[in-house]
Amino acid sequence: MEEIKEKWTGAVNTVTVGATEKEGGTRKSTVTIGGETTLPFLHFEGSIPYRPALALDVLDNLPEEWPEVLKEPYRDVLDNPAQWAALCEEKYGADMICLRLKSLHPDWGDTAPERAAETVQAVLEATTIPLIIWGCDDPEKDNLALPLCAQAAAGENCLIGFATEDNYKTLAVACLADHHKIVAQSPIDINIAKQVNILISEMGYKPEDIVIDPNTGALGYGIEYTYSIMERIRLAALDGDRMMAMPIICDVGFDSWRTKEAKALKEQFPGWGDEGVRGPLWEAMTAVLLLQAGGDIVNLRHPMALEKVRKQIDALMGNGE
Amino acid sequence: MYIISERINGMFSAVKKAIAARDEATIQKIALRQIKAGARALDLNVGTATDDQIGAMVWLVESVREVTDATLCLDNPKFEVIKAGAEACGDNFIINSTTAKEADLATFLPLAAETGAKIIALTLDKNGVPNTAEGRVEIAAQIIIAAEAAGITPDRIYLDPITLPINVAQDQPKKMLETISQVKLLSDPSPRVVIGLSNLSQGTKEKSLLNSAFLAMAMGAGLDAAILDPEDKLLMDTMISGEVLLNNTIYSNDYLKAWRA
Amino acid sequence: MALTGLDIYKLLPKTNCGDCGSPTCLAFAMKLASKQTSLDECPHVSDEARAKLGSAAQPPIRLVTIGTGDRKVELGNETVLFRHEETFYHQTALAIRLKEDDPESESRVEDINKLRFVRVGEDISVDLVALTEESGDPEKYSAFVERCRANTNLALILVSGSPDCLKAALEKAGDTRPLIYAATAGNLEEMAGLARQYSCPLAVRGKGPEETARLADRIKEIGVEDLVLDTSPASLRDELTDQVIIRRQALKRHFRPLGYPTIAFTDPNTDKFSRALEASVFIAKYAAIVVTDLSEPEYILPLLTTRQNIYTDPQKPIQMEPKLYEVGNPDRSSPLLVTTNFSLTYFTVEGEVEASRIPAYLLIVDTEGTSVLTAWAADKFNAETITRALDESGVVEKLDHKNLVLPGYVAVLSGKLEDESGWKVLVGPKEASGIPKFLKAMKKRSA
Repeated sequence: MEEIKEKWTGAVNTVTVGATEKEGGTRKSTVTIGGETTLPFLHFEGSIPYRPALALDVLDNLPEEWPEVLKEPYRDVLDNPAQWAALCEEKYGADMICLRLKSLHPDWGDTAPERAAETVQAVLEATTIPLIIWGCDDPEKDNLALPLCAQAAAGENCLIGFATEDNYKTLAVACLADHHKIVAQSPIDINIAKQVNILISEMGYKPEDIVIDPNTGALGYGIEYTYSIMERIRLAALDGDRMMAMPIICDVGFDSWRTKEAKALKEQFPGWGDEGVRGPLWEAMTAVLLLQAGGDIVNLRHPMALEKVRKQIDALMGNGE
Repeated sequence: MYIISERINGMFSAVKKAIAARDEATIQKIALRQIKAGARALDLNVGTATDDQIGAMVWLVESVREVTDATLCLDNPKFEVIKAGAEACGDNFIINSTTAKEADLATFLPLAAETGAKIIALTLDKNGVPNTAEGRVEIAAQIIIAAEAAGITPDRIYLDPITLPINVAQDQPKKMLETISQVKLLSDPSPRVVIGLSNLSQGTKEKSLLNSAFLAMAMGAGLDAAILDPEDKLLMDTMISGEVLLNNTIYSNDYLKAWRA
Repeated sequence: MALTGLDIYKLLPKTNCGDCGSPTCLAFAMKLASKQTSLDECPHVSDEARAKLGSAAQPPIRLVTIGTGDRKVELGNETVLFRHEETFYHQTALAIRLKEDDPESESRVEDINKLRFVRVGEDISVDLVALTEESGDPEKYSAFVERCRANTNLALILVSGSPDCLKAALEKAGDTRPLIYAATAGNLEEMAGLARQYSCPLAVRGKGPEETARLADRIKEIGVEDLVLDTSPASLRDELTDQVIIRRQALKRHFRPLGYPTIAFTDPNTDKFSRALEASVFIAKYAAIVVTDLSEPEYILPLLTTRQNIYTDPQKPIQMEPKLYEVGNPDRSSPLLVTTNFSLTYFTVEGEVEASRIPAYLLIVDTEGTSVLTAWAADKFNAETITRALDESGVVEKLDHKNLVLPGYVAVLSGKLEDESGWKVLVGPKEASGIPKFLKAMKKRSA
């Protein structure tokens, strides 16, 4: 039997998020992702220098609509993003925090941009791990708030999202000025994913400072599209396409906890079994599948999902890596 | 598409002069410009600049190697010239070219096998270039069989079905396209196919357009590589568009920029 | 992949006699390679060449069937490494393992029978029961198999290292074409003998792809060809590697000894949650059968959903059942939105309506799974089809108004739709992301 290895010519870009004191920030740890020269976890064929990183979501407003299963682990801190973030770091062992500035959104509080910057500061003070800052998905408010947040986090080398095809300039300028990494988001569309990368690069942003968010979808709700788009992005990167060589972030927690299968109580659907397992498993399985398609950072919500996904990563990195 | 620059060729007067005068700077400037425009390899042809073809080839190799590690495509019908060029290169070069004539196969194939080089093979034998696609495929098959016997896998062979000027042999481009799609079925892995593009439009008025149109067609038939001038923007834009249309590169609105990024 | 021109040429007489109608043997070989002629045209071809050419025409991964009747399971015959290249054809069969010594096994058969769900209009269920011998006693094991068989229509896997136990079990259940698990280096002849005698598929367990390939080759020589491969990997990482190597060897190298479907087992020594995640990796990466001892619905539903997603044909998108859906708890004054039954369109619109926190009805029109613009262009989303959907849904009974929101991309349909249906048409946003804003403005106006 002849050996069978692909000869890839490209590699995924290596991206580091977070900055220690020595690097001008205040983080105790940083997270480095990317650098793969083969498909996910195929160690026999190429190098996979870094483990995928796992972030836990922290919201800046009380997530009343969350199911009980998801609220429970954060019971006492849901109204305090700084304490919440600290809990994610200290108790649940997240690699990173993904701070979601949801309250900025006109429908979800319409809070002042300055408040977002203060929250960023408070979370940075309460934690020592790298920070992802996630906008509210209202372009106007994000354009007002994210530059303030970028400034407030200057030196911390955060990952800030998100730039889209129609709204990328303000964020790109802000991230450039304060030396942050940027998330390039596209609506489950590989052509637009590439286009956003080109647009941001043209602003003078190094392709090596971009992370792709292909828009995740959840298990049972469009994940097959994302899965294939991510596989195609990774194959293009390995074939040397520089505008597809960015590592990928998967916003799994947000999308999977919107699904009925994750949220529904056993009383409502007795045939679906215990929601205490089903919800976190729906989230974790979405994550594990997308890791197989090339995910480098996964945003999660339930601590059990984090723990179990990490265990899978351990097993897949395995054997003295 | 694997782009081999055609510009370092003694048939161009600037290059001819530079070779004669051993003017390294001129050659190096062309080399870097061509690479910047998208060339992955540089064809080196001493042309008729000097009687000392060996000396000229070695000088060309050394001059270009000073400024780039790009693959060099040593272009000469004489084995001694290629061998001297190969020694000057060390590694990372393409032999351009052998034919299916026994004497050529007997010398060029062992050199490719020893050095690990890729090799361009013209589909012509002692009877010349066959006028049909079938004839060219027969010759291609002989070349692949001989190469395999010499320990060279088909994916290291670039078959060249030989481009003739459109204003001389208008029936030829179609036969070339047939040849390209046929030879891809010969073996697994398939042999690569290369064409030298500018011969097609020699002496015509619409050089760039004819070259572009034919390049697109040849890509559709399965072309892997072309020897051309990457500074011809229409030609390169056509090539890049072809890569998108063949689903070899992921489309985006600014795919031309993306390719050049 | 079929044979190349030179592969075929080497099998031909090389006489260039022209009897086939082609001038040379190579020309004939090229025609064969591009499937423009048949080997029968050559009157001089040898039997050996004919056999070689025939075997090359077989699919690179053999199609293997377990079970009989309508619950039979087909495995293999895959053609690609990545689903976007074409599609994955025969979805991973999910097998639940029952142990002979477990007193609850027989009652669990009943529960397993019930593991059926309907998702986006498709029935999804567990496919196989793996019955594990533990006693070493042929009589006990065959009685266990017989009892389980009587209680389920699902196809069976008989798991035992003992040819005697398997023989006894096959006497009771051999007619249902169970998968025999497994032939190993030590028992290969006996196991292959059983597979032949009872015409059953046989699993082959070696250490790693190399040894497994050797064993498969030997079994094939004995005359058993319906094989399933197990490389007995020591870790999840090895499992993934082996699965990828097997699939690549079969598809890219046409390496026959690995041209069979594969079987993978979840690790019984880890927690249930992790076992489920492991199983999802096997589904994504090429296992034809996944055997697990999980049987609770909270583990099985996500696994079956994973399988449905991964095995969806990218060219034939998942379709939503065309009907009236409720988002939130709509009342008689809630808005009604209309869109197509392409699943992604539905999920996007539903997500945005939910995000708006304004309860609404969503009428999904049957457009054969196409998105709004495509359906409109193909004349599947027009005044007639929307009107029919409105009538059939009975939505008129549920509302105090007759206003509907039409996707902005098909605003052009408004006039005709109003005439045809008698409903008032409000033109909504083009992109789903505009829905929350639109619905809020609508609510404000009506308040």
